[in-house]
Amino acid sequence: MPRVIDGRELQPPEPLELALMALDTLPDDDELTMLLYCQPHPLFDILRRNGYRWTETIQDDGTHEIRIRKA
Amino acid sequence: MHPNLSFEQAPPITVPYRFFLTAPLFGVVAGLLLAWLGESAVASRWSSGALALTHLLAVGFMLQAMTGAVMQFVPVAAGGNVWRPGLVAHIVHPALVIGAGALVVAFLVQEGLLFRLAGVILATAIVFLVLVVGTALLRTPARGATILSMRVAIFGLAVTALLGATLAEGLAGEASWPLLELANVHAGWGLGGWGLLLLAGVSYYVVPMFQLTPPYPARLARWLAPILLAILMLWSLQVGGWSPAWEQWVWLAGLTVGAGFAGVTLWLQQRRRRRVSDPTLLFFRGAMLCMIGLLLSAVVMTMFPAVAEHPRTPYWLGVLVLPGVFVSAINGMLYKIVPFLNWLHLQRLMGLGMLPPNMKEMIAERAMVAQMRVHFAAVILLLAGAIMPELARLAGIVFAASCAMLGWNLIQAARFFRNFKDRMRAAAPGPAP
Repeated sequence: MPRVIDGRELQPPEPLELALMALDTLPDDDELTMLLYCQPHPLFDILRRNGYRWTETIQDDGTHEIRIRKA
Repeated sequence: MHPNLSFEQAPPITVPYRFFLTAPLFGVVAGLLLAWLGESAVASRWSSGALALTHLLAVGFMLQAMTGAVMQFVPVAAGGNVWRPGLVAHIVHPALVIGAGALVVAFLVQEGLLFRLAGVILATAIVFLVLVVGTALLRTPARGATILSMRVAIFGLAVTALLGATLAEGLAGEASWPLLELANVHAGWGLGGWGLLLLAGVSYYVVPMFQLTPPYPARLARWLAPILLAILMLWSLQVGGWSPAWEQWVWLAGLTVGAGFAGVTLWLQQRRRRRVSDPTLLFFRGAMLCMIGLLLSAVVMTMFPAVAEHPRTPYWLGVLVLPGVFVSAINGMLYKIVPFLNWLHLQRLMGLGMLPPNMKEMIAERAMVAQMRVHFAAVILLLAGAIMPELARLAGIVFAASCAMLGWNLIQAARFFRNFKDRMRAAAPGPAP
């Protein structure tokens, strides 16, 4: 699975679907990066409930870069 | 790490759905009532039939759907923790149904006691809703244009309800209040303060997300709510008993703000990153064109006083704003929100490692497109009724059919959720013997 998901051109819940599939195979010491134009609150909820932590930075063009790894 | 926003307070799916599934029923009743009343309903803004129809759509359809949206949106997208959403829905939902029903019957039979009853029930339910949702919006650590717009919208709802209760009391008793001016201000706060600002606040969030457009310009999103609030304050001065010469310009300024928002939304839709057109996008486009149509109508009314004084002009404006702007926008929004909520709640039940069914399976695209065509046919027929009042009955029947189809499509989505959940439970391994 790719470790970077560019969800900026995708309609919800497609980015979420890709993220869930990627998280399923993400090794404990690896990181998944998501690029979106909005804050994915439902994803944060899923991550919180399933023991992941994340950082979020907003780029100049409005892209939210979310880096996810196992807590 | 991400700030301490809590998004785990999402209400049970039944909370928004009970409001969403009720709203189309009021639309069906509105259509059937118009079909029954015919030309008499479009003859004057102040006829009992016109007032009953207006409130079937504004309180029955709009308020139901928008309350459901607020109950879902505030915790999930705005990060506000709504106090006991299940209990709030159990109180507010039946109160809005009974209050709207009593108000409509009161208009039709002109019964003072019913006006008083409706006013008390609706004002109590709405003030309770405003306190609960307003507290959540004030306490949320989230910031931005959506939060600001929703805060002002909730304030606008409170003002609308209190003015509405005052009007109901005025109609029930012998009070010598300036009812005409109060009604104008009540309508301004309801449609501009509550309706437009909630639509704008939600749009800042969901239009870029679901329609893949660039974000709304920050300056517009930041200033729309304060400017509209200032315009509504000026508009409210007419209750003081004098009718200033600039009142007409305040009205035009409010409609210009609405048309500006609509124009920017259409411009963003033209610049969307994926050229996909779905019913939600087209419903929004129709709603925004009607909002611009309101401003154009007002300009024509200003230039030609004979048009402004025509008894069916208020009906024309009412059709543009209620079925044209708000029913269209809500209809389109429901077609995204309901399948998305199905998906999210099923995902939550399934856990990580399994994917819920595709959103396109929740409501058939063909059914949504068919309903959309009937809806816009109804809007055109309703507008034509201002010129040819004999079309009012047909327009009512088509509008009722559109709302019935919307209700049926939403029921299909709710049934999909329930059936899938039941199948998951049946397939789950039972307890060890």
